[in-house]
Amino acid sequence: METDRLIRTLAETARPVRPLPPPLASAALWLALSIPYIALVVYVVSPRPDLAAKFGEMRFAIEQSAALATAIAAAAAAFAATIPGYSRKMLALPAFPLALWLGALGQGCVEDWLQFGAGDLRMRPDWFCLPAIVLVGTVPALAMAVMLRRGAPLMPGGAVALGGLAAAAIGNVGLRLFHAQDASLMVLVWQVGSVFALAGLASCLGRYILNWDSIIASARRRAAVR
Amino acid sequence: MRGQRNRKPSQQTDDRMLAMHMRAAQSGDAQAYAKLLRVLTPRLRHIIANRRRSLQPSDVEDLVQDVLLSLHAVRATYDPERPFMPWLLAIAHNRLADSARRYARHTAREIEMGMSDVTFSEPATNTDMQTYGAQTYGDPQALRRAIRALPPGQRQAVEMLKLSEMSLKEAAAASGMTIGTLKVSVHRAMTALRKALTKE
Repeated sequence: METDRLIRTLAETARPVRPLPPPLASAALWLALSIPYIALVVYVVSPRPDLAAKFGEMRFAIEQSAALATAIAAAAAAFAATIPGYSRKMLALPAFPLALWLGALGQGCVEDWLQFGAGDLRMRPDWFCLPAIVLVGTVPALAMAVMLRRGAPLMPGGAVALGGLAAAAIGNVGLRLFHAQDASLMVLVWQVGSVFALAGLASCLGRYILNWDSIIASARRRAAVR
Repeated sequence: MRGQRNRKPSQQTDDRMLAMHMRAAQSGDAQAYAKLLRVLTPRLRHIIANRRRSLQPSDVEDLVQDVLLSLHAVRATYDPERPFMPWLLAIAHNRLADSARRYARHTAREIEMGMSDVTFSEPATNTDMQTYGAQTYGDPQALRRAIRALPPGQRQAVEMLKLSEMSLKEAAAASGMTIGTLKVSVHRAMTALRKALTKE
């Protein structure tokens, strides 16, 4: 097809579009979609009995706040990765809250070790964490995938990994509201480990979720350009 | 406007004009959109030709169209508050990198082949007929006689699949035979023909 004819077809068939909101606004929208579902899951599974007391504990509050901040920052970074011309520095946004989260858990491990000795720091298998994070993170992950697909697939692996990190981190925030596992080492290995595993898996699926071929094919279909 | 501090005034004016057209395009103004795409096309052609100097003009044009389609597909990602050219260049560079990766994958899969004896234009294929015991294949009369001597099913299979060059599906539909039967018949027919022609 001649370029001039393509231009005519694109212009004639283009519908009005609403510009995407900035990444932070998209992250806020994603959070607003995710929170009701997480609240529902926590309600259905039933919140841990000591939840009110836990919110009063500084360490729990810091860990949960850092995990939530990681989720929001990762979501904003994922959305920024799908907007052409946005500074790539945005991709480093989750680094600070993530470092804070890991640091708080690391500090918890050290405190536990000093208080109880190495004997109480034993690792036990806790296979509940991964499926529970997947359960809590399902709707956030789906919402993230749908919202990312409205952007440009400039770096599919990176954007979807960040989106996966956001969904898994918020899944972990929800998990700790009904799963009474607070030993820092266990949280670090089983819960944060699951979050990283899910983000890694998301990264591998990046090209299937975000790719130019499908976006251009649907644009072609809409414009009836053959 | 953000991101425009280090740019010349003429570039800023140009960018503002493009941004204005893009805003109009986002709100459904077909004329503004066509004008914008027409302004961008030679610039894209120039960028692509400069970045990929080895490309033929037709390949450059394909890439220009690819970038235009990409821009069209993600036009909602343009934020009217931000400069236009960095947005466009990010898309163009991403599509160019994609095309370079595709090209690299394609060439990595390609295997250089020398001229082989099985290539029809090679003399060995056409003179060394003894190798295949087929010195009489060039005799159309003998071939015609041998085909006539085949059992009816095999003859029909050869006529349809080899002489008329029908596909297995077409031949099955025309003859009422199954694809499996056709395959067996044509295999047996070819064996019989090879034997008959070698004897002659």
